[in-house]
Amino acid sequence: MKKILIVDDEKDIVETLSFMLKAKGFDCICAYDGESGLSLAKNEEPDLVILDVMMPKINGYKICRLLKFDNKYKNIPIIMVTARSQDVDKEIGEETGADEYITKPFEFSLVLEKINKYLA
Amino acid sequence: MAKVFLLIDNNQIEALTDVLSNYQTYNSQKDVHDLVFRVNEYNPDIILIDNSFSNCEILIRQIKSAANNQNIQIILLISDNNNTSCINLADGIIETPVKKNILATTLSSHSKIKKSLDRLSENNKELSRSLYQLNVLYNTSSRFAGTLNTKQLYDIMIEAMEKTLSFDISSLLVINPDNNLVFSLNTLYTPSENLVDALKIRSVLNYRTVLETPSLIPKEKTDNITLIQKIKQERTSKVYGLEAISFDSLFAPIKVGDSFFGVVELFRQIPYSPEDVTCFQAITHQVALPLRSAKLYEEISITNKKLEKLEKLKSEFVSIVSHELRTPLTPINNSLEIVLSEQAGAISPDAKNFISMAKRNIQRLSGIIEDLLDLSRIQAGKLDFQYSSIDITPSLELLQKTFLQVAAQKEIKIVLDIKENLPQVYADIRRIEQIFSNLVSNSLKFTQNQGSIVVSAKVIDESEINYENLVMPIIAPKGKYIQVSVSDNGIGIKKEDIPKIFDKFSQIESSLNRNKGGVGLGLTITKQLIDSHLGAIWVDSIEKEGSVFNVVLPVVDREKIFIMDLSHALINNDNVGVVKIKSKKELNLVEHLKTNKLININHSKQEFDYISNDYSNYFAFIPKISYDSFNALISGINDYCHKIKQDECDIILSNAHSAKNGVDVFNIMKILNSHF
Repeated sequence: MKKILIVDDEKDIVETLSFMLKAKGFDCICAYDGESGLSLAKNEEPDLVILDVMMPKINGYKICRLLKFDNKYKNIPIIMVTARSQDVDKEIGEETGADEYITKPFEFSLVLEKINKYLA
Repeated sequence: MAKVFLLIDNNQIEALTDVLSNYQTYNSQKDVHDLVFRVNEYNPDIILIDNSFSNCEILIRQIKSAANNQNIQIILLISDNNNTSCINLADGIIETPVKKNILATTLSSHSKIKKSLDRLSENNKELSRSLYQLNVLYNTSSRFAGTLNTKQLYDIMIEAMEKTLSFDISSLLVINPDNNLVFSLNTLYTPSENLVDALKIRSVLNYRTVLETPSLIPKEKTDNITLIQKIKQERTSKVYGLEAISFDSLFAPIKVGDSFFGVVELFRQIPYSPEDVTCFQAITHQVALPLRSAKLYEEISITNKKLEKLEKLKSEFVSIVSHELRTPLTPINNSLEIVLSEQAGAISPDAKNFISMAKRNIQRLSGIIEDLLDLSRIQAGKLDFQYSSIDITPSLELLQKTFLQVAAQKEIKIVLDIKENLPQVYADIRRIEQIFSNLVSNSLKFTQNQGSIVVSAKVIDESEINYENLVMPIIAPKGKYIQVSVSDNGIGIKKEDIPKIFDKFSQIESSLNRNKGGVGLGLTITKQLIDSHLGAIWVDSIEKEGSVFNVVLPVVDREKIFIMDLSHALINNDNVGVVKIKSKKELNLVEHLKTNKLININHSKQEFDYISNDYSNYFAFIPKISYDSFNALISGINDYCHKIKQDECDIILSNAHSAKNGVDVFNIMKILNSHF
């Protein structure tokens, strides 16, 4: 079973997303702030990370950069999620090495499509 | 009594005593020493000089050469007619021996002549002074018209008074824009401290008197007056004491109508003439009008700045609120989807129906938020375009599929009529899809059940563009265009409403049918997106029969046009200039530089939005820019055009101005066109 890490300080989003992913047969682990998200990513070594940008403690870009610049974790696909202006974020997201990029509000089907690109 | 300077023998004087006693006389004793100096000092009306006097001719010449002495009547006493050179210089001659009656009449007539001449000179002097004053007044009035800066206006006024009325002291008390009193003192020599205080108090008293409502200057304000002092000849030891207050003075309030600006007073040791008073009043009158304009201008500027700030805040507010609204929409949408997919348990068909309804409306809400965000981005000049050469046919076909379901519900047919082998356009495919999706969705809204919508596309020439109906005046370069028309047989639009439908929130503001959903941002965004693609839109509509929305996009050879979105980089850039980009390689470099780096390049090389130098493929991208910069561009445009020609550049980068003023863009292009 593929393991997906969801990091977002919006608990409702994490809860609905993990429910749907579990229904699709994924194993989900969740974190509600950047710090615990980063340690979960390192300890649990998930197959994919869904990462929110705006979070307390450590923001999503920083986590993304830390993981992508670490040889041990750089192959874990990262999907960035944000509600901020897509134009600016997309640029920064690409610079930080994120694999995919989604803006809120997102359709579950779109998330699934992006996940399947890496885990199918 | 006329003054006579005597340069004759003493025995002659004695003989003529009874005639000369009628005049004030000065007997030089025929003493040659310092003669010219003594003449100047005595300032006679008549000089009686003996021909036999040594150096007579030289003396007369010396006296006459001084400007002040020109009117002095020189009467020569001659004993023989040999010394003719002297006779030519004199104003009159008397032969010796002198007959008393002749001397008496000669002296009396020449003193009259001298008096007349003096009066004439005096009048002449006055006339030339008046002329000078008039000239200064004339120059001053044009200088007044040239500025709206309050401080400058006062400076010009004082300068004009100094020129025309040559005062010793001028004191000026005015209210400056932030409502503080400023007391300016201009003096020829250094004034004593006592005098400065006295003049200040005098001005304040004058001010209160003129104002008649002393309450307008509270006491605490008069205690706290800013003093600006200028002394013309500071280095001299001469100082003005309190006696300067008793100099002749001119006083006037500076006001026009109900607007009161301050008081001005001049002091001069030499008394002022009535002409001076007129001149003084003329200057104070003249300054009041531009002062009022300056005051209004300042008020407008302040209001304008406030409005600009407000507009920016509003834009930021919309952006922040929209972002905040997006976050909660995600879990709502997901939850509904979970329930709907029955992953969380089976639900009744009715429940399914209502949950679907909720989900549809969430999507509608996201659409509106997306529109608001787009609009605030467009207005801030932050919308990002990714241009490439694209075929629009697949996008239009996709459109038909996207709206299939919605159209089926209203039993509306969407028909495609696309000519084969349409050329490519240089555009951002996402935005092109947004443009036509907005138009089709709009037609769907305003078309009754069982109607039909036709989306057609063809190639046209520039001459076929319907300029008269264009929403915004544009200059369309010559060449081919793709025209896409979305026509429906819906309710149509009243002729007078057509210009309004592209305004923000038009559905809310106007009498247009309000029951159709949406906030009326779709067409505003559509128009802005078309503008960004250098295209145009116009509407043909007949009420109750239907509408046709026509969009034209320029067909562009990729090799000949380079579109860069500089709007981001240029918003705060006030420079205007030109950049030379010769090879395509260099261009690509610039094209790929992101905004921050582009700003740096702009500052060092001074570059702005651009056009191709090939007239037939002449395109410009006009980024959003402040009005001031636009003016700078207009004023400097001829110089730059010249430079452009000299440098033979392929591309001009130039900060123009906001896309709002289509006419102004038109003007720029017209000027540029004439140079290529």
